[in-house]
Amino acid sequence: MAAAVLWNPALQVYLPIAEMSVDAFLLVGIGFGVGWLSGLFGVGGGFLLTPLLILIGIPAPVAVASGANQTLGASVSGLIAQWRRGNVDARMGTVLLIGGFIGSVLGVQLFALLRRIGQVDLAVSLFYVVVLGTVGALMVMESARAILRRRSAPQRKLHEHYWVHGLPFKMRFRKSRLYISVIPPLLIGGGIGILSAVMGVGGGFMLVPAMIYLLGIPTSVVIGTSLFQVVFVAANVTLLQAVQLGTVDILLTLLLLAGGVAGAQFGAAMGSRLRGEETRALLGLLVLGVALSLLWGLLRPPGNLFSSGAAL
Amino acid sequence: MIRLLLALLLLAVPARAQEALVAALSQDAVEVTTGFTGAQLMVFGSTDQPIGPGGDELLVVAQGPNRPVVVRRKVAALGFLWVNGPSARFAQVPGFYFIAGTRPAWQLLPEEQRRRHALGLDSLPLTSTGARDPRFRAALLDLEKRSGLWVEDTQPVEVAGSRLFHARLPLPAGVPTGDYRVQVLLVRSRQVVAQQTLEFRVDRVGTADRIATVAEDQPFVYGIACIFLAALAGWVGSVVFRRS
Repeated sequence: MAAAVLWNPALQVYLPIAEMSVDAFLLVGIGFGVGWLSGLFGVGGGFLLTPLLILIGIPAPVAVASGANQTLGASVSGLIAQWRRGNVDARMGTVLLIGGFIGSVLGVQLFALLRRIGQVDLAVSLFYVVVLGTVGALMVMESARAILRRRSAPQRKLHEHYWVHGLPFKMRFRKSRLYISVIPPLLIGGGIGILSAVMGVGGGFMLVPAMIYLLGIPTSVVIGTSLFQVVFVAANVTLLQAVQLGTVDILLTLLLLAGGVAGAQFGAAMGSRLRGEETRALLGLLVLGVALSLLWGLLRPPGNLFSSGAAL
Repeated sequence: MIRLLLALLLLAVPARAQEALVAALSQDAVEVTTGFTGAQLMVFGSTDQPIGPGGDELLVVAQGPNRPVVVRRKVAALGFLWVNGPSARFAQVPGFYFIAGTRPAWQLLPEEQRRRHALGLDSLPLTSTGARDPRFRAALLDLEKRSGLWVEDTQPVEVAGSRLFHARLPLPAGVPTGDYRVQVLLVRSRQVVAQQTLEFRVDRVGTADRIATVAEDQPFVYGIACIFLAALAGWVGSVVFRRS
C-alpha cells in the first residue's frame, strides 16, 4: 500500500502545524512558479507566495510565517550567486539589517495583536493592497518613463542627489559609491522589517526600488545587497513567529523550496537576457496585478458571511 | 473486512447472549502520520432482539475533544469593504461529531431525551458568549458540516441478519488529536434501554508528531532548525540546479 501511495499523482501530505492535508505536487508546483518569477526579477517572491497559500486554504498565520521561512531559503541561493560576483555591499546591508531587525520585532507584535482581535486576514489583505498597489504603480510608471527616455537622452549621472543626502551621521559605502547619512537606510530597513513580519515577505520588491530611488545605490549592487538584508530579516521573522505564535510549518516550507530553488535558477538564467527597465516594468505589472486581485477579494460580497476559527 | 469482523462477532455472541447490546470498534487508535489523509473506523455489534421497523432501533454517536471556536460575521465597512464584524464565542465545541442510526434520531426519541444524550446537531449543547443572533449557531453547524468534521445521518447504521449491525465512522484529514468517545444506544419504544460506551484515540505519530512536539515544547530550537533547514535547502538547490 505504501508503494501505491508513493506513485499516486495526487500525493497528499499532512502538514503538522497547519493541521491539514495538502497535495504535495501542488505545493512544489507553486514553489516552482514563484521561484521562477523571483529568479527572473531578483526578488524573493514572498509577495506572490503568501496570497497563493491563503488561496489554497492554508490559514493566514501559517501562510505568513512559513512564507517568510521559504523566502529565507529561496534568497540564500541568490545571495550566494551575487556574493561570488562581488555584488553585495555588506556595509549597506548591515545598516539596513539593524533597521530590519527592529522593524520585524515590532511587526510580529503587531501581528500577534491583530490575531487576538480577529483581523489578521483583513490586515494582511489591506497591507498587500496598499503596499503592492503603490509599489507596483510606481514601478510601472518609472520604467515606462525610462524606456521612453532611453531613445532620447542616453547620458546619465553617476548618481543623483536627493534631500536624504543632507542628513547627519554620514557613512561611506564604498561598493555603492555613496557617502550618505545612516538614517534613511535604517528607516527603510525598519519599515520593511515591519512589512515582512505582517505580510510574510522578504521585502525585496520594496527594498529594490527604495534602494534605487531613495538612496541612489547603483543597480549592479542593489539586488545582491537587498538579498543580504532579506535573508537575515526573513530568518529573524521565522524565529519570532516560531517562538511567539508557533505558526511556522517546516514541511510546508521545504515542499515549497523543493520547487522554488529549481524555478529560481531557470528564472535567473532567463532574467539575465532581459534589460533592466523591461524587467522592472514586468515586475511592476505583476505586483500591481496581485494588489488588484486582493482588492477585489475585499470588495466582492463574500459567498459566506460567516467564518470560524480557533478561539485564543 | 466487515465479513471477518461479523464472523468473529458471531463467535463471541453466544457467551454474552444475556446482554441486550454488545458493540466494539475496529480499532482503538488512529495514527496521524505525514501521509495521513483521513481514516475510517467501523463500529459493529449485535443485539438480543431483532433490529428493524417495529422492533429495536440503534443510534451510534461519536464525539471528539472539545475546543473553543469563534464564529465571525463579515460586515461591509464604509459600505464596500468586507471585514470581520460581530463574533460569537462557543466555549465547548466538539472537534468531531458523528451520528448515525437505523433511523434519524428525531424519529426515534423525544426532544428531551435527545438533548440529554446530545443526539443530533440540533440537540448539541452549544452555549456562546458575544453576539446573540441564532444565525451564529446555524453558521457554526454549516461550517463544521462543510469541513467534514460534523457528520449527521449521511449513512444509516446497517443491519445484517436482523441482529448484527455496523456503522462506518469517517474521520477526515483535519480531525483533531485526542480522546474520542463513541456511544451505541439501543432504543425500544422511544426509550434508551441499553447503551455502551467505546473509546479511541487519535494521535500524531512519526515525523508529523516529532515536528509538532518540538514546535510546541521547544519553539526556539524549532525556529533555529527551520532557519537552518530552509537555508540548507536553498544552498543545495543552487548547487544542484545551477545554470551558469
